[in-house]
Amino acid sequence: MSVSRQAGRPGVAAVLFLAVGFLIAPVLLTIAGSFATEWTGALPSGFVTFENWREVLGLAETIGSQRSMGWDTLLSVGGVALAVPSELFFSVGLALGGVLINLVVGVPIAYVVARYEFRGKEWVNAVSVLPLVPGVILGVAFLRAYPNLSGTSFGLIVGYSLLKAPFMVMAVRSEFESMPLQQLEESARSLGASWPRTFLTVIVPNARSGIVAGSIICWTLAAAEFNFSYVVWAKGTQPLALFLQRHISNSTFTKAAAAVSMFFCIVVAITLLLQRVGTHGFTTRRT
Amino acid sequence: MGTPGQEQAGTTQQSETGLSATLDALLSPATESERERRRILALCAPFGLLVLVAGAYPLWEAVRMSVSVEPYESVGFTLDAYAELFGDPYYRGVALNSLWFATATTLASVGIAVPIAHALEKYDLPGEGLWVTLVSFPISLPGIVAAFMILVWFGNTGVLTNLLAAVAGQEPRRVAIATSVPGLFLAFLYSMIPRSTLILRGTYAELDHAAEEAAQALGATPWQTFRYVTLPQIRPGIIGAFILTFRTALAIFGTLIVISALLVWTLQIDRELAGGAFPLAGAMAVVFFAFTFLFTVLGLRYTSAEVGL
Repeated sequence: MSVSRQAGRPGVAAVLFLAVGFLIAPVLLTIAGSFATEWTGALPSGFVTFENWREVLGLAETIGSQRSMGWDTLLSVGGVALAVPSELFFSVGLALGGVLINLVVGVPIAYVVARYEFRGKEWVNAVSVLPLVPGVILGVAFLRAYPNLSGTSFGLIVGYSLLKAPFMVMAVRSEFESMPLQQLEESARSLGASWPRTFLTVIVPNARSGIVAGSIICWTLAAAEFNFSYVVWAKGTQPLALFLQRHISNSTFTKAAAAVSMFFCIVVAITLLLQRVGTHGFTTRRT
Repeated sequence: MGTPGQEQAGTTQQSETGLSATLDALLSPATESERERRRILALCAPFGLLVLVAGAYPLWEAVRMSVSVEPYESVGFTLDAYAELFGDPYYRGVALNSLWFATATTLASVGIAVPIAHALEKYDLPGEGLWVTLVSFPISLPGIVAAFMILVWFGNTGVLTNLLAAVAGQEPRRVAIATSVPGLFLAFLYSMIPRSTLILRGTYAELDHAAEEAAQALGATPWQTFRYVTLPQIRPGIIGAFILTFRTALAIFGTLIVISALLVWTLQIDRELAGGAFPLAGAMAVVFFAFTFLFTVLGLRYTSAEVGL
């Protein structure tokens, strides 16, 4: 009958498919390319080699060896040393530190906004969910405010936690909003639990899925944080995002593809891990 | 929620008493509303501390740095850096670059995100969860990776570059656009489309489906239904997506390190830092922060924007 009836739906669906293709096809090509020896034509060629991965992970000698990942001994038991790739381990730890701070600051404020009515609530809400300072700006500010701390892991963790806090608050708040908070609180209180105990052992465990979702988002975003790290990082082990940038800017295309693929793997692995933890008891639920 | 009227009355009453009485009430609360007030403060305290230590104090130091007489320490007071920033046409050019590019990329990505969110929320697509995951996945990728993805598409050895070169019968190098302004545009879209989609999906989730069904039953075409029933409902969400996506666009930096096709504000800050012009870099950071802050506050306050994620 009309154009809109015939073309509307396929047209809209086509935008979705094109967008997904635009976003995901290069991801798949990159992963494929990381196993190729050459990528000079349209498609990578010369399969299958693990040389790129070995070089990126620092398992093979490279000419510019400072480009590959270093290995640190994590612990040695009876002469057997357990070594871990230092950049990788460093970033995983930094991002986890950021998530930890986010949990401590984000969960309570999400509860306040979801549960109570008070003056200035809009402001508390706005400040807690809007990413206030962009990474580059915060980096510049950190350089002068904490000249000795900004490049250290502590400075990075604190910076990450401020930058990513809104995502934790949003995830946890929406979980709280779907819970009958007042009823939960009142039943626990009427059974004799003090308010802090009610909050920690009844309210928080019940919001577990939101907390896990928030932690996943915060972790991946903190591990991927480039702008802030780039400005404040001074020396020592590089955060992962800087390691990636070094490869993208300086390495051969296949080797850069391996570095980027490694990053994809970490993001997927941590997401799956935290999801598992979430369904198997992230916080102890007393039954 | 509960009895907001009573709580409201409680807080107004308290604000009328003196500071010492308020402190007293916080330390040893006697009534339930005082206890609640103490809980609110206690729950806000950790976040407040983080904002103070990691946000407010560093920003204050950035302000001091921008008015400092010496580049390497904050002493004295001078507005030289700001005078240079606002007087030099070079910086005006950089600011204009940032603004037009962010506006253009925001319009494009919100324009693309509306049909994406529409398809995801309204159509019964097979494997809908998978589509949502695929569209959301790039949110966790840093700008440098977004730039690399554009190199894969449009770089000298890119897939589309080679395709275009074969069709046009030219050297791949001559049709590669990855490191030009259009390439940068696409790299921005790579980061921004997933974020706009996330915001708009939240808006779509709250739609009133009954009104749309009524419109359809009364004989409206899908376009008319969208234009006169759906769009008015999602307009606040679209405005909210514009504001937040525009902020994202202004703050992009990593992408520009790989594809430095356009000199924008964030890239210029990095160059000032590298050149040791700390007061100027501080002034640029302060101006950037003030602009995005005012823009967001005014935008969210004086438009019908609704930000629901």
